[in-house]
Amino acid sequence: MEDYKFLFKVVLVGNAGVGKTCLVRRFTQGLFPPGQGATIGVDFMIKTVEVENEKVKLQIWDTAGQERFRSITQSYYRSAHALILVYDISCQPTFDCLPDWLREIEEYASNKVLRILVGNKIDREDREIPTHVGEDFAQRHGMYFLETSAKEAENVERLFMEIAAELMEQARSKELPRYETNTTSINGKTTSIGDTSNCGCSRLS
Amino acid sequence: MIRHTNELAENVSAKVRQLDLARSRVYECQRRVNDILDLQLCSEGVAMALCNEDYEQGAAHVHRYLSMDQQLLERTAEDILMDHTNVSSSLITLQQAALQLRTVVTHKFDEAVKSEDLASVERFFKIFPLLGMHIEGLKKFCSYLCTKLQETAQKNLKAALEIKSNDKRASVIFSDTMTLLFEGIARIVEIHQPIIETYYGPGRLLMTISILQKECDRQVKKIIAEFMKHRCISKKVQIVNDYIRKPSSERADPKEFDLLLGEITIMHSRAELYIRFLKRRVKNDIEISVTNDAQYKDLINEFKSMINNSDLAHGMQELLGAYLALERYFLEESVNKALGMDTLDQDQQTSSMVDDVFFIVQKCIRRSMSSWSIDGVCAVVNMACGILEGEFANRLRNRLRQGYPAGYLDLAQAYSTLQTSIQHGRLQTSDTELARLMFLAYLNNTDVSIEYVETLCKSLSSEIDATFPNMQNKERGKIDSCLSGLKGVMSILRAVNDYGLEQLRVSAVKPRVTPWVDAFLSVDHHINEDDLLRYETEEPFVQTLIMNLEGLLQNFKGTLTPSNYDALIGLLTTEVTARLEKVVLKSTFNRAGGLILDKEIRSLASYLAAVTSWSVRDKFARLTQIATILSVEKIEELADYCGADAIAWRLTPAEVRRIASMRIDFRPEDVKRLKL
Ligand SMILES: Nc1nc2c(ncn2[C@@H]2O[C@H](COP(=O)(O)OP(=O)(O)OP(=O)(O)O)[C@@H](O)[C@H]2O)c(=O)[nH]1
Ligand SMILES: [Mg+2]
Repeated sequence: MEDYKFLFKVVLVGNAGVGKTCLVRRFTQGLFPPGQGATIGVDFMIKTVEVENEKVKLQIWDTAGQERFRSITQSYYRSAHALILVYDISCQPTFDCLPDWLREIEEYASNKVLRILVGNKIDREDREIPTHVGEDFAQRHGMYFLETSAKEAENVERLFMEIAAELMEQARSKELPRYETNTTSINGKTTSIGDTSNCGCSRLS
Repeated sequence: MIRHTNELAENVSAKVRQLDLARSRVYECQRRVNDILDLQLCSEGVAMALCNEDYEQGAAHVHRYLSMDQQLLERTAEDILMDHTNVSSSLITLQQAALQLRTVVTHKFDEAVKSEDLASVERFFKIFPLLGMHIEGLKKFCSYLCTKLQETAQKNLKAALEIKSNDKRASVIFSDTMTLLFEGIARIVEIHQPIIETYYGPGRLLMTISILQKECDRQVKKIIAEFMKHRCISKKVQIVNDYIRKPSSERADPKEFDLLLGEITIMHSRAELYIRFLKRRVKNDIEISVTNDAQYKDLINEFKSMINNSDLAHGMQELLGAYLALERYFLEESVNKALGMDTLDQDQQTSSMVDDVFFIVQKCIRRSMSSWSIDGVCAVVNMACGILEGEFANRLRNRLRQGYPAGYLDLAQAYSTLQTSIQHGRLQTSDTELARLMFLAYLNNTDVSIEYVETLCKSLSSEIDATFPNMQNKERGKIDSCLSGLKGVMSILRAVNDYGLEQLRVSAVKPRVTPWVDAFLSVDHHINEDDLLRYETEEPFVQTLIMNLEGLLQNFKGTLTPSNYDALIGLLTTEVTARLEKVVLKSTFNRAGGLILDKEIRSLASYLAAVTSWSVRDKFARLTQIATILSVEKIEELADYCGADAIAWRLTPAEVRRIASMRIDFRPEDVKRLKL
């Protein structure tokens, strides 16, 4: 048995070059890799963090932004607990593509997935997307929002730690009703099967 | 004296040092003289060789000159003042001759290439390095090899496009063509690597392969372009994507993709194989030519990024993308089809969908493995998880949600049911019976699926190990994580199975067991000594119960899978013991009545223990203890039974008192006084 209480899958998506890999490496290895090459397919990293004295294992899937890897990366949406959608605050096109990414998420991810919008590279002088524009977008689409710099290690730790905390919260609040439905009272009449099964099913689905 | 010796020794060693110096000067001098002599010889020799078109000889002279220390040579020329002109002119002649030789050899090589004179191509190829033209020589030779490669590849592609549609190889003609290309390059490397190593030295393979790879890229692009066009890949991917977004749009028969999917995976695996071959060769070549680790790493990285940035790699990524889009459609549509055509054959415990669905899932994952792409395998495993947890599990759950029609109780009674059903104008028996059979089949489907998933995970794990023998940790982690997603399907199916069993309990077990057990209430448990023997042998209550239970179980025994049947007995046991406890607690006993109860409970427990492979002892613990209390001779014995050392004792002191008070022959004040 490994030593952790919760395991969450976090998937990063967004246009090529917005800094997904750099964010992940900053968080998992504490460095900003020079000359980071484009990701091929998906990359996979693990980091165990501690939230409220509980060990939480984060399984981080860093997907390639280039179009030709789309069929590979899409297959990871379904089992994600959290999806981080990244754009580059100094590059308007990466922001303009966000609706396309949302459509993908809508199509492939579970509707319960935690969604976070991240504007990366705030260390850059040539900002094109003002903070409030990103914030508005996130709010309109029911997403959390954060601006980061993988280069200057700004908000990167916070990003992942807040995701871990939020997912843990969700997992805990789900645990209770799960056991309640288990003890659904059964009245012997056959006609009531439909009703009782509803309760049983909320547990299953 | 000592000082004298010291001085002497120092003098001697100083002399020796002087001698050494002198000797090394003599050596240098000799070398310079030799060089000068050779220089003259060389410069005359080159001119002569050029005249005679003896290029090997000329190159040997140049090679000798190049091996001299050039700076020393210049200095010598300055030092020997009187011969100054002589040495300098030799130098100049030689340099000019070398230049001329280089031009001539280059020209001759080009001519040999043009006239396809293979022998001359090789001849001049071997001369380049003697003239210090390693890089030029290699470049020229490789581009010659590239033209050969191009010719063959074009011929092959042309033949491929002319293939008749009824030809055996027609459905894999593009992967065949691609294979020929890779094999061609591999053969070139096989054949020429030794010559290059002999004449150019080790460490030249990376450059050789980089040049050949450029040609490979051009040819692969052409093959892929033709493949895309002739197999209508873009259109198919478009249809498939549209269909997934909007299921009402045009749809394709998944079977149509079968061959195509196979062909793409072959192409991808051949490219993988080819890249592995190059990597192995380059690695070996770098290993023997490099002395330090940093240099080794740099060169390996150079190779890797050359491959990663090649059109070959990009083309393969495109193909893999198309493959996955189509494979996903194939998987989902085929599974949906199997679900839609589900049939239940007589005498089968499961319906056709289980075997069909797992056949498809296994087929797709296996096929992805044949692409030799770890990302490809992971993606298909993910898709398989999606469909098994989604449509497949939903189908099972929905059927089980409809419940086990209980109205009339079992299949054996179906005929007698017929009349009543018709009279009441309700369900037709055949429908009800079918619904029951379907319910049980789906309960079995679920159980068998759990097993299938487990087997699938195990076999995939070992097949993956065999396909990717040298997986890196990161890739191992990826695969393992995706496979554990597949294992997760088991727990979802288990929950569905539990849910189905619960349905069965509610409609088929509980309503029937209750009246059977409640019959206990109409039996007199105040038995006189005369009747004791008769009761003991006949066990009227429990034997009737067992007979009824036996009747119930018989109906399920052959119909349910062994593990579902065991689970049924488990929940039957829980139901019977819980109900029996309830009715026992509503009754009163004399000792003989208690003894009979004790015996009957033992009989019941051993009956149930005999029909299942699981232990039922635990479920009988409370009942057995209740019976023990009810059958003691003297109330004082109870203190021994439920004393502190009785580990498995399940009843609380309050319960013990309550049960003891059900013995009509115990006085309430004795019960109250019990020390527990
Ligand atoms: N200034 C600045 N540059 C960054 C930052 N994060 C990433 N970069 C640079 O952006 C480029 C792309 O970064 P990656 O992390 O490879 O981008 P990616 O999103 O993983 O790209 P794909 O793998 O192709 O999808 C690199 O040159 C990084 O150095 C940041 O916070 N600030
Ligand atoms: Mg990346």
